[in-house]
Amino acid sequence: MKTFLSAAVVLAVAIPPASATELTVVTAGDTNMVDYINEYLAPIFEKENPGDTVRAVGTGPGDAGSQKILERFEAQSGNETWDTDVAVVHEKFAGPMVEQNFLKQYRGDIATGELVTSDKAKMALGTNVDGYVMPMFSSQTAIAYNPALVENPPKSYSEIETWAHEHPGQFGYNGIKGGASGVSFVMGWIYAFGDGDATQLMNGPFEEGAAKEWDGALKRLKDFNADVTMTPGNAGTLDMLGRGEIAMGPVWVDMFYSWQADGKLPPDMKLLLPEPGMPGQPMHYVIPENAPHPELAEKFVELATSPKIQAEGIVKRFNWYPGIDATHVKAELDEASWNKLFKDVTPEDLANYAKPFPIAPYNNAILEAYERHVAN
Amino acid sequence: MRERTIGLLLAVPAIATIALLYMMPLLASVTGAFETEAGFGLDNFIKARDLYTTDILYTLLIVSASTLIIAAFSVAIAGYLTLGENPKAVAILRWLYRWPLFIPFIVVGQVLRTFLAKNGLMNNLLVAGGILTPMQTMSFLDWRGIVIAFVWKQTPFVTLLLAGAMASIDRATIEAARNLGASRLRILFEIVVPQVRTTLFVGMVLSFVTMMSVLSVPLMISAQSPTMITADIAFRINAYGDYGVANALGMISLIMTMAVAIFYLSHNLKEKAR
Amino acid sequence: MSALSMQDGRAAGKRLRLPFDLKWLPRAIVLGLVAFAIFGPLANLLLWTVAERWYFPHTLPLEYGFSYWAKVFSPRGVAWESLFTSVFIALLAVIGSLALAIPAGYALGRLKLPARGLILLVFLIPQAFPNLPVYVNIARFFYDVGLNGTIAGVVLVHVTHGLVFAVWIATASFAAVDAELEEAARSMGAGPFRAFFDVTLPLALPGLMASGIFVFLESLDEFTGAYFVGAPDVQTLPLLLYTAGAGGNYQIASITALLLLIPSIFFMLVVERFLRADVLSRIGH
Repeated sequence: MKTFLSAAVVLAVAIPPASATELTVVTAGDTNMVDYINEYLAPIFEKENPGDTVRAVGTGPGDAGSQKILERFEAQSGNETWDTDVAVVHEKFAGPMVEQNFLKQYRGDIATGELVTSDKAKMALGTNVDGYVMPMFSSQTAIAYNPALVENPPKSYSEIETWAHEHPGQFGYNGIKGGASGVSFVMGWIYAFGDGDATQLMNGPFEEGAAKEWDGALKRLKDFNADVTMTPGNAGTLDMLGRGEIAMGPVWVDMFYSWQADGKLPPDMKLLLPEPGMPGQPMHYVIPENAPHPELAEKFVELATSPKIQAEGIVKRFNWYPGIDATHVKAELDEASWNKLFKDVTPEDLANYAKPFPIAPYNNAILEAYERHVAN
Repeated sequence: MRERTIGLLLAVPAIATIALLYMMPLLASVTGAFETEAGFGLDNFIKARDLYTTDILYTLLIVSASTLIIAAFSVAIAGYLTLGENPKAVAILRWLYRWPLFIPFIVVGQVLRTFLAKNGLMNNLLVAGGILTPMQTMSFLDWRGIVIAFVWKQTPFVTLLLAGAMASIDRATIEAARNLGASRLRILFEIVVPQVRTTLFVGMVLSFVTMMSVLSVPLMISAQSPTMITADIAFRINAYGDYGVANALGMISLIMTMAVAIFYLSHNLKEKAR
Repeated sequence: MSALSMQDGRAAGKRLRLPFDLKWLPRAIVLGLVAFAIFGPLANLLLWTVAERWYFPHTLPLEYGFSYWAKVFSPRGVAWESLFTSVFIALLAVIGSLALAIPAGYALGRLKLPARGLILLVFLIPQAFPNLPVYVNIARFFYDVGLNGTIAGVVLVHVTHGLVFAVWIATASFAAVDAELEEAARSMGAGPFRAFFDVTLPLALPGLMASGIFVFLESLDEFTGAYFVGAPDVQTLPLLLYTAGAGGNYQIASITALLLLIPSIFFMLVVERFLRADVLSRIGH
């Protein structure tokens, strides 16, 4: 007991207290997000700002990770100084954070703020977040397939539907409860087969009672589900693709590339973006209103969204689509690295078929309709 | 009267810890389950019933089945550890059974997912060993996978408790029965198990409760519908930010486990009164 | 499966002396099956720690290596630090819950208490209510009282979770100890504390130690509470494990799990050694 207590004291002393200039970055997403910040961004930032250090905390992949950051903000909303300087969250959670006044409107304060002109920095699933977010990278869902098992890959949702009925069990997706790649596939399904106007789903306005327009599409989806394999989660789809248990399934493009880099997927796997399109979403850098080191936090985001870092880190190292406008990033890169990004999914595909998610109320309504009509 | 006072005083620190650190935060969740847009009401429970009745029953079935299988396995293992006559076999089994205890649930989910899948390591080994042909392989990644994961992880827990309790019972009756020619199976079920019944039930209740609240195993092994309550709770929160229905589902889960615990406790008290 | 070995044993017990090697056959088959069930999945874990490339249609990894170990132990990584933090928290959680559970378990197991069943139920609640919706409330409370981001905060959360194991098992252990022994000690002039520490506690110790193991393991398995209450100042290994595991980073998750095995097994061995000495000392008394 005594030896333990003294060991405890030694340990307690050995763990250093938080130093004054430690920048805390909390990020949703996979370990590769934590690694990106810890192993790539932090050393560059620390070199530019001698004496300051960066520490990254991962909250886990998917919506659950971002939700945990939102809950963390809620829990400390009564405090004057918070414990987070910078957070990286999914698009879906930027809206609620802005609505609850958790975030600082900082984009105008940083030099890179004007390098992003697209809508994704202004609206997040129907909520105005202009000025509160800087996109870290854009992520897109697509259909991954094994060319060895799929000779003529389908090019549209209707062709996928036919293919899945012809090859029972060979198409796999994770429903809506195992992560956003399945959710994205379902949203694309509604865009393709819903009776209503898909652009209204993406841009609003929300109309109560739109759910009826999806009945036919959901019924088709239920029939479709009878012939497909349900996978456990975003990673579960990739997992089953990697073991050859399914031949095709929706995945996040960034996860697909990192699984391939980690040797968990055959190198000849390919991606395609079917007509009329699948949703994607950016990950956003946000700074809490009560961040302990707001100036340093802005410097950090400024560095992270600079064309050089976006080119070197986001595009070249991780094969992610850049967060800021492509023209600024392309100028920093050689042709080959840039083209690698569009190996399977061409810029034209992206222009035509990369869609946003439906605005939040539609998003929830579609999910609940799925729970009622397809899963139940 | 004095004994009761002392007893309460001894129990108070532990009760106070739970009350302060858990019951107070829980209270917000409990009231949250009844909060709706139109004031207090049962809307969240109605929605939970409409959408998740299958999942609730499915959870109950999976967890109950797992509990019973765990009990059977742990009685068998602990019984052999106590009554086994070959010291070498007993030593090997004692060394073997405990390993899953040290593997966190999330890793159990991961290793069993890659082990039990259709083209997972288990089937690959069986095919390579000529026991199965590739056409005969099948995936266990559905309710069976969840049950296997629970049994794999929780059996050592109950066994450890049970083996400890069996080791401390009086050997004299066992020896006497053995001298009278009773088989070891009879000794196990007629002499040993009755004496460690309380420990067995405690282990079963604790396992039941633990399995009810595990999220990573259903998420990683089978996200098909139906799924387990914890996965639905996570979904309500992460997809909709809907704490109302999540808390209602939490209440349902709480009521189910409490029912099991109360059943055990009343049984236990009755026995004490005898 | 034990039925098999039982029959085998019974046959041996009844004068029917079989040759040695035949007797081992059913035993070996059963033990082999148990070993496969347990070490099959574990082998999977070990393989992933050194697999560089592993995908369909290959039964075993295509390429082995330690590059993911380098990733886990990279100079900027926090693997060691968080491992020590986790073990430290787990040990404190064990001490905390045993300190609370021994008196409570004694009272519940040995003394007449009003509403005994209800009290036992109370300890079950932290395990029985799925915690996801509750942690925000706990975090809010801990922020208010300044416990967030401290080791003490995480320990308290783990104590509330481990307490059900500690109290329930302690109750059973104390109930199993013969009350007459303590009364005999009292009648021979020992004070209540002396009688407790010299007679009852040593007899209940095996159960208490087992409950300590469970609290330790429970603490090393917990990450959600550790995130809400501990992060970013206190980073535990299970939290890293969760991020890797949930995202399907099999290599990193497997290596982290292997790291977590070390303290668990070490703790178990220490407790066992302690136990055996204690049990041995009682023999012949």
